[in-house]
Amino acid sequence: MNAIRGISLSKSFQHYQVLKEISIEVAPGECYALFGPNGAGKTTLLRIFATLHRPTSGHFEIMGIDGKRDRPKLRALIFMIGHGSYLYDDLSVKENIQFAIGVRGGSVTDAEIKKALDQVGIGRFSRLHSRYLSAGMKKRLSIAKALLIKPKVLFLDEGYASLDERGVAMMNETIREFTKAGAAVLMTTHDRGPTAEVADRVGVLSRSTLKELTVKEMVEADALF
Amino acid sequence: MHFFRVVKWIAWKDLLSEYRNRENISSMFFFALNVILIFSFSFSLDPETLKEIMPGIIWVAFGFTAIIGLGKSFLIEVNNDCMEYFQCLPVPKGAIYLGKFLGNLLFMLTVEIVLFPLFVLFFNLTLLDQFLPLLLISTVATIGLSALGTLFSALTVQIRAREVMFPILLLPLSVPIFIGAVEATRGALSGDPLSSYQHWIELLGVFDVIFVVVSFWIFEFILDY
Repeated sequence: MNAIRGISLSKSFQHYQVLKEISIEVAPGECYALFGPNGAGKTTLLRIFATLHRPTSGHFEIMGIDGKRDRPKLRALIFMIGHGSYLYDDLSVKENIQFAIGVRGGSVTDAEIKKALDQVGIGRFSRLHSRYLSAGMKKRLSIAKALLIKPKVLFLDEGYASLDERGVAMMNETIREFTKAGAAVLMTTHDRGPTAEVADRVGVLSRSTLKELTVKEMVEADALF
Repeated sequence: MHFFRVVKWIAWKDLLSEYRNRENISSMFFFALNVILIFSFSFSLDPETLKEIMPGIIWVAFGFTAIIGLGKSFLIEVNNDCMEYFQCLPVPKGAIYLGKFLGNLLFMLTVEIVLFPLFVLFFNLTLLDQFLPLLLISTVATIGLSALGTLFSALTVQIRAREVMFPILLLPLSVPIFIGAVEATRGALSGDPLSSYQHWIELLGVFDVIFVVVSFWIFEFILDY
C-alpha cells in the first residue's frame, strides 16, 4: 500500500489549469522531493493531499484512505508544514504546541515538549510569546510540532525556506527520523543540495505535468526546468 | 470526551489570547461606554419614562458591542493561516465552532456585567432587586447573539468587505433576539414578577437552540468547503 497515491489529479483556478492529470505515488518510509518553477502547482498538489484544496478531477488516497470520502480519518494521519506558521502571537512557544496537539485530540507532557524543542534548537525560548519569533524559529517550532504529532505522512512546503545552515541540517535529520520510522515525506523545494541528502525520489512539476528523475539525475542536471 | 476537549482547547486559546492583548474586550467596552454616555446626556427623563426606554438603551449598547466584538472573533485565526490548521484537523468542525462560541459568549458576558454598574451610575437606576432576572435575560439573549456572531464572523473573515457584510448578515437575524431581550428587560426593570415576562425568556431560549444547532451544522461546510 502506498502512503500517498494521486491518480490523474487536475486542478484549475478560474480558467487557469495548474495541474493536468498528475499521477504520483510515494511509499511509506520514502522521501519524495518536488521541484518546479514558481506557479507550477507544487504547493497546490501538496494542498490537495493535505485536504486544503479539492481536485477539479482525479482522486487520491493517503495510506489507502480515499481523500474525498473519509477526510477526518485521513487528516489524523497527516501533518503539513506550510507557508503559514499556524501560531498564535499571544501564546508562548510551549502553549502553541500544547494547543496544536490538544486541538487534534492528543496530549503531550512538558518533558516531551522540552525534548522536541531542544531537538530543533529552540528549547530556551519555550516561554517566549510566538510574536517575537523569527521566521526560522517559527519553522523550527513547526518541526517540533511534527515531531510530537508523529504523522504517517508529512508534507513540507518549501521545507528549507527561512532556515539557516544548522536549521537545514536539522530539517534533514528530522526527515530521516520520519522516513526511518516508516512515515512518508512529500516536500516541495528549490534547494537541490540539501534535498539530495534525504530524497529517495525526485519529481519536476512544470507546465502542468510531472516528470520523474533519480536523485543522481537531479544533482547532475544543469537546469531542472 | 474527545469532542469536548477540542471545545475546551479552542476556548482556552481565545480567552488566554484575549487576556493578554485585551484588544477585543477593550474596544467593546469603550464603545459601549460611549453609547451609555451619549444616551445619559441626551435624555433627562423622569424615572417612569426612563424605565420605558431603558431596555432599548441597554440593548442598543449590547447589540453594537456584539457587532464590534464578534466581528473580529475570527481575525485571530486568519493571522498566520490558523484557519488552514483548523481545516486539516481530524476533529468534527462543530467542536471548533462551539469553542469559538464559548469564548465569544464569555467575552460578551464579561463586558455586559461590567456595563451594568455603569447603567446604574449614569441613569440613576436601582437594579439590585432585578439583578438576577437581568443576568438571566442577558445570558439567554447573549447566547443567541454569540451563536450567530460566531457563525457570521467565520463566514465573512476571509472577504474584503467583512466590516460591511458582518452587520448586514447579523442584524436581520438578531431581530427576534433583540425583541425578546428588550421586552423581557422591560418586565424586569418594571419590577414585574418573572412569570409575566417568562414567555419572552422562553422565546429567547428557543431561538438560542435554533441558532446554536443550525450554526453548528453549517460551520462544518464553511470550514470544510
